[in-house]
Amino acid sequence: MLEKLLKYEIRATARTFLPLYGLILLLAVVNRALFQSAANQMNLFNIPRAITMTVYVVLIVAMFVMTLVVTIQRFYKNLLGDEGYLSFTLPVKTHSQIDAKMIVTLLWSVLSILVAAASIFIIASDADTLASFSRFCAGVAELYSRYGLHAHLIAFEVVALCVVDFASGVLHIYASIAVGNLAGRHKQLAAFGAFIGFSVVEQIFVLIFVEAFGGSISGYFRAFHYSSEYFPTAPVEIALLGMIAYSAVFFAAFYFITDWILSRKLNLE
Amino acid sequence: MDSILECRNLVKYFPGCLALNSVNLSIPKGRIVGLLGPNGSGKSTLIKLANGLLTPNAGQILVGGAAPGIETKKIISYLPERTYLNDWMTVQTMLDFFSDFYENFNRAKAYDMLQRLHINPGDRLKTMSKGTKEKVQLILVMSREAELYILDEPIGGVDPAARDYILDTIISNYSENATVLISTHLITDVEKVLDEVVFINMGSIVLTSTVDDIREKEGKSVDSLFREVFKC
Amino acid sequence: MAWDLKSDRPIYTQLVEQIQLMVVSGVFPAGGKLPSVRDLAAQASVNPNTMQRALSQLERDGLLFSQRTSGRFVTEDVRKIMKTKNSLAEGLIRDFMRQMTRLGFDGDQTVELLSRMTKEEGQNG
Repeated sequence: MLEKLLKYEIRATARTFLPLYGLILLLAVVNRALFQSAANQMNLFNIPRAITMTVYVVLIVAMFVMTLVVTIQRFYKNLLGDEGYLSFTLPVKTHSQIDAKMIVTLLWSVLSILVAAASIFIIASDADTLASFSRFCAGVAELYSRYGLHAHLIAFEVVALCVVDFASGVLHIYASIAVGNLAGRHKQLAAFGAFIGFSVVEQIFVLIFVEAFGGSISGYFRAFHYSSEYFPTAPVEIALLGMIAYSAVFFAAFYFITDWILSRKLNLE
Repeated sequence: MDSILECRNLVKYFPGCLALNSVNLSIPKGRIVGLLGPNGSGKSTLIKLANGLLTPNAGQILVGGAAPGIETKKIISYLPERTYLNDWMTVQTMLDFFSDFYENFNRAKAYDMLQRLHINPGDRLKTMSKGTKEKVQLILVMSREAELYILDEPIGGVDPAARDYILDTIISNYSENATVLISTHLITDVEKVLDEVVFINMGSIVLTSTVDDIREKEGKSVDSLFREVFKC
Repeated sequence: MAWDLKSDRPIYTQLVEQIQLMVVSGVFPAGGKLPSVRDLAAQASVNPNTMQRALSQLERDGLLFSQRTSGRFVTEDVRKIMKTKNSLAEGLIRDFMRQMTRLGFDGDQTVELLSRMTKEEGQNG
């Protein structure tokens, strides 16, 4: 059933993002044409150039803002609005609804980053930038061969950290909206308050943790021998693992809160 | 197990309000039953509980012998008072949606009804009038081969001609394996179609009877009896 | 063929009467096949269970009979139909007499008024 939910969730949101992506890429091409070619010399294009560049930047910003807006709006409208009468009478588990929305948000976020990167590449790439880029890639490849398996592990951990951290952020939003919906009136205000409340709890948790374990942790890291020829991978791997664990704990907490509220404390108007 | 919907000492309260007060009810299969009561009587609460949209505070509610969950949602076809259609979809997409999630969705029946009511499957839901959206919603719900249909005010916002069509659809959809539970204020229109009625007020069941028993014993229509019982 | 159902009498008894009327007036001819319960219920806009009760009653009365695979039929017994017709007519007349009594007419006056009006109707064609 999750695949079906994903299918419709993507369809519901693609109509917003795909045109935006197309527009951005189009503007990237236009900007490249106006900035890179011989037209560069002609002052005739100064004003149009400024306009297209401005529009391009605005669109990039809009794209990322849209991702946030759509995340919130889909959760609110499809689950807690009138559409909730349909969503929650479908023969699917409540957490599948949460999973579908979370995965699709992740999808569009990754695509947004890729589109932004691609557009920059379209605008800015030339012999020089390409040369720097290949030097960068060579450097990374060299690191990889030096550290072997550890390099793969660290790369994997970095990706995992990004995903878990992102998911934790999204669930932070969902949990806030769910808690906000428990309020009788001023639901949006309550949601906002819950969001801040959760952030505060997170901070307090970190402070307590650092107070309790900070000493032993820094001790652990200090014990390694660091040099420019060989950088020990173990502390990096452990540090990343720690950060993943930290995000994972909050992800699980927010997920549980959201699922519990939607399963047992749902009250559609 | 002959009852499709059963409530045993069902209790539901909200802050400051006891919505259902230890309700006991048993609705058999193969009947068309009216759930009648004034606003705030507990009708919607009972319906939401049956659909798993609320959880009981005490007691049980069983659909086909099971507590509300995925299995009961498969056999319940629910028409809420609100329009729950996803605006961005076309009618066609909505049909695909129902087909995807409900095994017992009868596409052919849906197309037939859409045609009968002159609704074009290619139209976007966003562009439709409220009345047309309600008809689409009703068609989707009635096109499922469910065991329990729960219709919350199905004829409320519709013109009289459409009302007749809806009631005729309910009648012709009838099967001994299915039960239709209709919650409504418009009793006069619906009376002839009902087997039994359940009067509910302030969280308690006040009366259960067949329509003909009421007419015979009281010598008046269910609508008249309702007005008497629930006089303001 | 509109079904005239009042709201203060049991539906099932009214359905019995209406179907009797339809048989007697030839809408459902002797020996003819009846529509299915579902179709009849849809035509009358009533609950199929109620229609079923009415039809079962009429089967017990002998006006209808059912053959398991072929469906429900009107009896071919024309005398039975005539009896039903007469009993319906008697019912109407009894109601009529009751109402005339309320107006203050006794039996003889009613008959006299009735034959006068019937003659007038005949003359006017």
